Amino acid sequence: MATFFGEVLSVYSRAVEEDDDELDDENEEDEQIRREIEEKREVYIEWYPDVTQSVSSGNCTLQCSDLIIAVGPNASGFLSAYVLNTESWDAVGHVSLWNEKSRCTSRQPPLPGEPACRFYRHRDNPSVLMCQSTCYVAEDQLFQWADKVFGSLLNRGLNVMVLSDSPVAEYKTPDNLYGSAVPFLRSLKSSAFKDQALCPALEQPNILTGLPAAVLSHCQVHRIPAVLYQCYTDVIGPDTVTMETYKPALTSLSKLVKLEPCPSADALRRFAKVSEAQSNLYT
Amino acid sequence: MSYDRAITVFSPDGHLFQVEYAQEAVKKGSTAVGVRGKKIVVLGVEKKSIAKLQDDRTVRKICALDDNVFLAFAGLTADARVVVNRARVECQSHRLTVEDPVTVEYITRFISSIKQRYTQSNGRRPFGISSLIVGFDFDGTPHLYQTEPSGTYHAWKANAIGRSAKTVREFLEKHYKEEDMESDTEVIKLAIRALLEVVQSGGKNIELAIMKQDESMKILDQEEIKKYVTAIENEKEEAEKKKKT
Repeated sequence: MATFFGEVLSVYSRAVEEDDDELDDENEEDEQIRREIEEKREVYIEWYPDVTQSVSSGNCTLQCSDLIIAVGPNASGFLSAYVLNTESWDAVGHVSLWNEKSRCTSRQPPLPGEPACRFYRHRDNPSVLMCQSTCYVAEDQLFQWADKVFGSLLNRGLNVMVLSDSPVAEYKTPDNLYGSAVPFLRSLKSSAFKDQALCPALEQPNILTGLPAAVLSHCQVHRIPAVLYQCYTDVIGPDTVTMETYKPALTSLSKLVKLEPCPSADALRRFAKVSEAQSNLYT
Repeated sequence: MSYDRAITVFSPDGHLFQVEYAQEAVKKGSTAVGVRGKKIVVLGVEKKSIAKLQDDRTVRKICALDDNVFLAFAGLTADARVVVNRARVECQSHRLTVEDPVTVEYITRFISSIKQRYTQSNGRRPFGISSLIVGFDFDGTPHLYQTEPSGTYHAWKANAIGRSAKTVREFLEKHYKEEDMESDTEVIKLAIRALLEVVQSGGKNIELAIMKQDESMKILDQEEIKKYVTAIENEKEEAEKKKKT
């Protein structure tokens, strides 16, 4: 193989199959380890008792007409400040999973402030579900997450909205993006979504990754109308300006549930990270 | 993302992305404003909030380079320290070599040359600071210069750098009057008024340094700044009363 610096590399051809016997040599111990890892990385949806009681069918499927998922600290903060601030939401479940970055394995409800995946249901309109996801879901767990969450919901008549954060450094564009435009929203929707999205569509070659991508893919495959709003921001961590960028989504949300008038600046600040008074990087 | 964003080489359309990103780093620093009068030069900065246990004398945005020159910077603190140290050494070296203090233009050019070198060197990133350099030459002429991460420098009558520089500069363009610059008080008031446009919670977040002809740099204390702020507020009220009548 040719290399830049002239050394010789021997390369294995992928056209020739190497011995597959290695897999057969796997003994029980290996199998057991493999099984243990799979079990450890399994995704569990914990629905709370009052919810499971109210559902009559054997396996727990919730009637849901609208599912709103927030992925990331700013999206979750936006929902907390603008939507969940009324007292009309009940916590109905959470997701417990384990991976190297996320250890939300407890079967007990997570403490507020901990990274977790929480589900809320509106008291007056119980078919509106909200999910706030601030913990990391690993790539191998994404399919399970989407599968199990949507498996718990009756898919008929379901509409999905996803709000997700992304660093603006990942936004690829030929234009210069200096200061003024950031943070901004871009949208993506599944084919079944017939309404107009509230912001410009995400341009090529930008892609979605992670949990938002898994959810949208699931919705596309299962022909569920879904729209995703990705907010590109230059701030690490929850920040009030970024949270306010999601405001266009309020027009759709206000059709579903009664929203409080705009929260005060103090209320917003509670959800934002305390600003870096101690940061001496810039003066 | 191509390689020309990671090191300082030209992109196909002629940009030096690292230099442009360095200018973004400058915008993360708090605002500094400089005004050049006839017989006085003034630098005002927005004091950033510091931790309770931190000694605020060590968080200085205004640094003296020599008896006749001082500067204010905005951007990366550590980069500023390095540049200021080199400038101070150069000021003394100049004095010992030619037995005269530096001119403001000379030391500005020196600082700018250092900054420019870092935009052309392999493996080094540009300095992430802009600075406003003020002072008097030995013939008594006042000067105000602004330097940028790219290594450019220009002389100004009044300018601002840092977080809300654009707003402050527009304010200065609107309110700068040549004839006011004869009065030391008016120069100081212009600098304070410009800062008050963008600083949160008024005078106690402002630090001001002045240098009058043939005098050394003086940092105004809180009482003096308060006096100017009160005078400015009174003037504003009177102007508004006049408008109404």
